[in-house]
Amino acid sequence: MEKKLFDALVFLTLLAPLVSFFTLCCLPRNYIKIILSASIFLMLISTLSALVLLFNFWNGAIIPIHLNWFSIGTNSFTADLALSNRSLVMLALVAFISLLVHVFSIGYMGGDRDLKRYFAMLGFFTFCMQGIVLSDNLLLLFMFWELVGFSSYLLIGHRTIRPEAGRAAKKAFLLNRIGDAGFMVGLMMIWAIYETFSLTQILSTSTVHPWQTAASLCIFCGVIGKSAQFPLFTWLPDAMEGPTPVSALIHAATMVAAGVYLLVRLFHIFTEDALLVVAVTGMITTLIGAMAALSQHDIKKILAYSTISQLGLMVLAIGMGILDAALLHLFTHAFFKACLFLSAGLVTHSLHKAQKGQQHFDVQDIRNMGGLRKKMPTAFIAFLLSGASLAGIPFFSGFLSKEAILIALYMHNNILSWLMLVVIVSVSFLTVLYTFRMIWFIFFGEGRVIKPLKIEEPSWIMRLPVLILAFCSLWFLVSRNPFDFKGWMLTNENHHSDLLWITFISILWIVAAVLVSWYAFRKNPFKTHHILRKSFYIDEGLTAFFGTVTRISSRTTAFIDRSWIDKTIHGLVYAQVVVAHFTGWIDHVFVDGTVNGVARLAGLGGKITRSFQGGNIQLYIFWALFAIIIFIIWTLN
Amino acid sequence: MQEYLLSLLIFTPLLAAVIALFIPSTFIQAFRFLAMMATLIQVVFIWQLVTAYEPSASLQFVEQKSWITLDLGAWGTLQAQYFLGIDGLNITFVCLTVAIMIIATISSWRITKNVKGYFILVLILNAAIVGTFSALDFLLFYLFFEFMLLPMFFLIGIWGGPRREYASIKFFLYTLLGSILILIVLIGLYISVLDPEHSPKVVHTFNMLHMTHPENFISGSIFDPENPWMIGTINARAWAFLLLFIGFAIKLPMVPLHTWLPDAHVEAPTPVSVILAALLLKIGGYGLMRIAFPIFPEAALTFSWLVGLLGVVSIIYGALNAMASKDLKRLIAYSSVSHMGFVLLGLASLTTEGVTGAIYQMFSHGIIAALLFLIAGVLSDRTHDRMIDHYSGLATRMPSYFAIVLIGFFASMGLPGFSGFIAEILVFLGAFKSNTTNGLIHESLAVISTLGLILGAGYYLWAIQRMFFGPLHLKGEATIEQLVPLSYREYLMLIPLCFAAFFFGIYPQMILNWINPFTEGFVNIVVETGKRLTPNL
Repeated sequence: MEKKLFDALVFLTLLAPLVSFFTLCCLPRNYIKIILSASIFLMLISTLSALVLLFNFWNGAIIPIHLNWFSIGTNSFTADLALSNRSLVMLALVAFISLLVHVFSIGYMGGDRDLKRYFAMLGFFTFCMQGIVLSDNLLLLFMFWELVGFSSYLLIGHRTIRPEAGRAAKKAFLLNRIGDAGFMVGLMMIWAIYETFSLTQILSTSTVHPWQTAASLCIFCGVIGKSAQFPLFTWLPDAMEGPTPVSALIHAATMVAAGVYLLVRLFHIFTEDALLVVAVTGMITTLIGAMAALSQHDIKKILAYSTISQLGLMVLAIGMGILDAALLHLFTHAFFKACLFLSAGLVTHSLHKAQKGQQHFDVQDIRNMGGLRKKMPTAFIAFLLSGASLAGIPFFSGFLSKEAILIALYMHNNILSWLMLVVIVSVSFLTVLYTFRMIWFIFFGEGRVIKPLKIEEPSWIMRLPVLILAFCSLWFLVSRNPFDFKGWMLTNENHHSDLLWITFISILWIVAAVLVSWYAFRKNPFKTHHILRKSFYIDEGLTAFFGTVTRISSRTTAFIDRSWIDKTIHGLVYAQVVVAHFTGWIDHVFVDGTVNGVARLAGLGGKITRSFQGGNIQLYIFWALFAIIIFIIWTLN
Repeated sequence: MQEYLLSLLIFTPLLAAVIALFIPSTFIQAFRFLAMMATLIQVVFIWQLVTAYEPSASLQFVEQKSWITLDLGAWGTLQAQYFLGIDGLNITFVCLTVAIMIIATISSWRITKNVKGYFILVLILNAAIVGTFSALDFLLFYLFFEFMLLPMFFLIGIWGGPRREYASIKFFLYTLLGSILILIVLIGLYISVLDPEHSPKVVHTFNMLHMTHPENFISGSIFDPENPWMIGTINARAWAFLLLFIGFAIKLPMVPLHTWLPDAHVEAPTPVSVILAALLLKIGGYGLMRIAFPIFPEAALTFSWLVGLLGVVSIIYGALNAMASKDLKRLIAYSSVSHMGFVLLGLASLTTEGVTGAIYQMFSHGIIAALLFLIAGVLSDRTHDRMIDHYSGLATRMPSYFAIVLIGFFASMGLPGFSGFIAEILVFLGAFKSNTTNGLIHESLAVISTLGLILGAGYYLWAIQRMFFGPLHLKGEATIEQLVPLSYREYLMLIPLCFAAFFFGIYPQMILNWINPFTEGFVNIVVETGKRLTPNL
């Protein structure tokens, strides 16, 4: 009975968003109310069943669901679904944030002409994301993995009228595809090594195959693409072309975190060497992200780089073997980063409305804002709470998860972990700087360009989800004690009370950073070097490199087709025509000549013989005598 | 009737073509309905065939009648049979043919020039394609194979675009060259193979099944595996394999024998493009699997590296050329070259996964290529302009067309959930595994060919970005008023194809049930017989 209920709940969680997608696809585009209520209702169902699953089966013995997909020869490809504590949390997280984003979008996207496509794709995305979380088969996981990329493509490019949207969407999908090509090679290796894609079977194998480092690194390529790691991270800042709720859901809270989840899921197949690469990649990413975030002016770009930096942090932690703390950070990051994006959405939405008919300016540029604390209190509170969580201030969830990573790193106690510790500490300093830079610029001081505008807060349907998320950025979602990260999730970790001095130092460090940011950014915009602003020109470098290589090689192949292959064919055809003319000439001169010559010869012979028969009796007697004489001469011999 | 289903499938369109001959050419509507009727009757037959078909390695619905028997005295007896049969390999293609022919007939509704001639040719083509896929006698196969050439030549040459003469002659010459190479092998095989049923009488046969058994070859004949005779460094059988390979590779088409394809596609009218891409290309791959590989297995093993390498070259070269194309139809044509490269790669691996993937890729490409050419047709029907750069912002003007283009393009670039993904992943798995299981092709081929995935996404997304994003804006002759929404007739063609691409990507088991028994037998026989005969090479 319990098993049946469990299966039903799993399928409900997974399929309700898919039903939402198909329902919306079938509805006419002008039935807006039905579209909205159907998609919210189905997401609500999905969220509720995910929460029921989480509460009832946490730490319970969970039986995987076996489904056969297809089979070839003796090999079968299954579509198994498996759940663990980790995936239960992920399921609930994705469903919950997706629901909030759905609700927020009602207000934010109101009046959009492609509302149907928008909500359908949100549902489709949620389905695929839950699929990644649930699948126990690497091939199935890869399917969902690529499909979230597809929904991300359509959602980034939602405003088709903007050429930039098309460009950003293409870039996101292409860079993901580059990563996924690596993932595909990883799949081939996994298949060659294990002859199965079942994760349960793969992870239970203990022997290390010589290809294992290569295989795990290839799979890591997929993570580099999806989780926006160095050097493929450049799609994420551009992906901010998409509507802000999409950025909150896909490009901050869930899809980009899928890579981190995959790393944790497949951790056992990663070898030591592969993990070192993972850790170093994470380190580079987190540094670049934090530095670039400090030098942006577009609020969404700052948040995007911040996401890159935080993802790098998680990947770094996994590379160092710190799984649970990394997942805890994923969990807390999802809430506070979604909240940051949505409150940024509140701000830009209001500014955009207020701007109508007035002077035109960039509503996402923080240099234009200021003093919004009083005009938009909800956005201010939400941004402050979630920003504090991002900065890692005590009593917020971000503090706890960062603390968990720091302490786990400290426990490692080797040179590499000390280096990583230094990196994380400096990144957290930078994080505080750019977070409070945003807060000072947007909410404090004098309104710069926006001062004359009459700004109203958006409706409650947008403010409520933001407030819920802000509320979730507080410590209690993780643990009851605001200074002890060992809550309900990290049951295995030991908290050492003798390490409280680390907590103390990190609090001091963060307070110092807040003070620095107060003095540095309160008044004047921070002037940064263009290298930082362009995040070390990696984007330009990548685009130039790949663009040039493909352009040159595609032109070359087109040239080969036209000039070599086709010219050869034409040459052959001309040669054939020439040969044909030549044989025609031979026909005419020799063959016809011979035939005509023979005919003429025959005619000549006829003429000669005809001359013998003149009808003249004397001539006949002469020829008869001649013949007789010849005959006699011949017989005599 | 059951036992004559294949003949009925072949002769229904032929009969319709004969009837059409007697209808005066002014009754335009009559020809359309006649062609439609013929294909619908074929659907009835195919339905019976599919329901009665049992997945197994054996041939079913076999029709074996004596066709030509000539007693040549001291040279033995020439025997060609009317020999048809269905197994896991060709049932997918026969089904595909009937399905695509319906789509093509609907798509031909708008042809107005010489309707009578057009439909007669399409019906003949239909019969020839079904015949090619179901013939098991080499001479009969060759007859049908050549029979396809003529209607196609006229369909491109008369109903085509501005450069139709050039394109049709190029198509004709290329394919004729391939046919001649195949003919040479056909004659050689006829001389070498005896019908074991009539032994010890010397009966030369064209039966393909007999040709796959090395013991049926006359000792000392040109294609006898024991024959030590060498031409250059390889023996006559290896040469025969290469000739067949080139002959079928032209049809596939494979780089560098592909340049007829873009020209033929660009000039051909939409329905002819659909037939060409969805069906005619498959005959190349089908011929390799039915004739070249099983009859000359040891040569197939020896040259599998070449087949695989040329497959990879086709994948990447085709994709790069697609990226350089300015004409939407040319882009799709080059993408076909790229996708048929996967067929070669999978086949060369000679693993169960690879060969299954190759067959599945042909089937899936049949659906998706048809969809893509119809998509291009939608645009050229409206504006007679297919230049990608001439359009911008179409998404705002034609949202449902945008949705279908998204499905078509993403299905073609192998997005999971569409049939192409299943095919490509199977090819990759097989090609990568080949080195460790049978040592035929190197892993690097599979790794390099993943570049095709990236490039595939590149050219499609670039085309979408240029044509559909941004503000609505047209260049060239076209006007915005010409861009009317999709008609019901167009939906009738596009939606089932979208659905099919999706269905076979989610639920591949249906087709795999058919393919599986065939592939297992195929791989075993080719690899085992090949290994046994290789020392003779």
